[in-house]
Amino acid sequence: MSESMHITLNVWRQKNAQEEGRLEAHACDVSPDMSFLEVLDVLNDKLVSEGKEAIAFEHDCREGICGSCSLVLNGQAHGPHKNTTTCQLHMRSFKSGDNITVEPFRAAAFPVLKDLVVDRSAFDRIQQSGGYVSVNTGSAPAANAVLVPKDDADSAMDAAQCIGCGACVAACPNASAMLFVSAKIAHLGLLPQGQPERKKRALAMVSAMDREGFGNCSNHFECGAACPKGISVANIARLNRDWLGAVLTEREERKDQGD
Amino acid sequence: MPTWLQKILSSSLGKKYITAITGLLLVLFLVAHLAGNLTIYADKDGSAFNSYAHLIESNPLLPLAEAGLLVLFLAHIGLAVRVTIENRRARRSRYAVANDKGKKTTSSATMIWTGLIVLGFLILHIWNFRIGKELAGESGDLYTLVKSELRQGWTPWAYVVGMGALGFHLWHALRSAFQTLGAAHPYLDEAWEKLRWLAVVLALGFASFPLYFLFYT
Repeated sequence: MSESMHITLNVWRQKNAQEEGRLEAHACDVSPDMSFLEVLDVLNDKLVSEGKEAIAFEHDCREGICGSCSLVLNGQAHGPHKNTTTCQLHMRSFKSGDNITVEPFRAAAFPVLKDLVVDRSAFDRIQQSGGYVSVNTGSAPAANAVLVPKDDADSAMDAAQCIGCGACVAACPNASAMLFVSAKIAHLGLLPQGQPERKKRALAMVSAMDREGFGNCSNHFECGAACPKGISVANIARLNRDWLGAVLTEREERKDQGD
Repeated sequence: MPTWLQKILSSSLGKKYITAITGLLLVLFLVAHLAGNLTIYADKDGSAFNSYAHLIESNPLLPLAEAGLLVLFLAHIGLAVRVTIENRRARRSRYAVANDKGKKTTSSATMIWTGLIVLGFLILHIWNFRIGKELAGESGDLYTLVKSELRQGWTPWAYVVGMGALGFHLWHALRSAFQTLGAAHPYLDEAWEKLRWLAVVLALGFASFPLYFLFYT
């Protein structure tokens, strides 16, 4: 068994959305093989056994694909590594004696609900506004009936990797959601199935994003560096193109229908 | 107002599009301005610069060009200030630990401040030469005015600081504007990375004039 490490966690505690939060220090002895979430599990066990309230944090699959875990560690969304979610971050990435400040994702559009848990339903509402393709139900279409060029399929799959965790918003100095929205736009807009709704999608998702109170992108590119799935900021340029094209060419909805 | 213009102005992306386009047009103006100013170095008595200045002043379209520049500046500054205020509102509580993933630069993080310093410079510059020339009337030639203003007290140093801020501002701007306009592609990105050196050329070029008058004339 590897040697145990001594670390101090400064954890953000906040009772609810209304009350002010504060940092609370906890000394922990941890194994370098533990994931960061396991450290919080162990700390919570200790807190509960002492009759104190456990630290609220979000988690689900713990294998880096669900987008539930969040956390800003020492000012970095999902911690110090590239292409890594907090659940996949192990304590061997830190040194014994380290102080780690653990904060929730901070954005006006992601209000803190409790401790480290934020409300990310703004992303759901953006997605519902246009992040889909409409297809007829019934029997499955014949395979290869719609041909997709390999390059487009690859780029669409790269964008489709977005797990909607919100690290891009957390890392952006402006709390902008452009990387998330652009990933959805590229994912669907690059495929033939996404073409019929492409313009409507760009307009609707950008308006939904604006309504939620995210900031404006000013191309710091911190989002792409913080993204646990390595989504490229080139998608943001694609969103900018798609949106302008849609504004200039999308026809007004037909008003003569039903006459 | 047509619907498409309304749509553009009410959207976060539209505001950025207009900021980027007006910014790039202002850069084109700066390139022409610097090229014209280089006539200062053509001779010692300033006759080349004065005849260049006369060529501009005698153009009947000058008021139109000035009005155009004013509109560009007002739109660029107004939208940039509005976007910055919205960005501040988008994160009300700050992180206890300020950190990043290394992509942010001093230039990208200080756009609003370098922009406001350039605005301060611009007001001084218009006071010195646009209004200064009107006050001097027909008698004074522009070269003599430039020479005397740029050797006076703190003015040359204010110009150098203003141009330093301009350099920082354009270093991010020249990369950011094309991304905002959607012009991104591996080949294009390479070109933009080179184009941003224009920021350094413009800043050093303009800053050279006060230093020249201060130390070499």
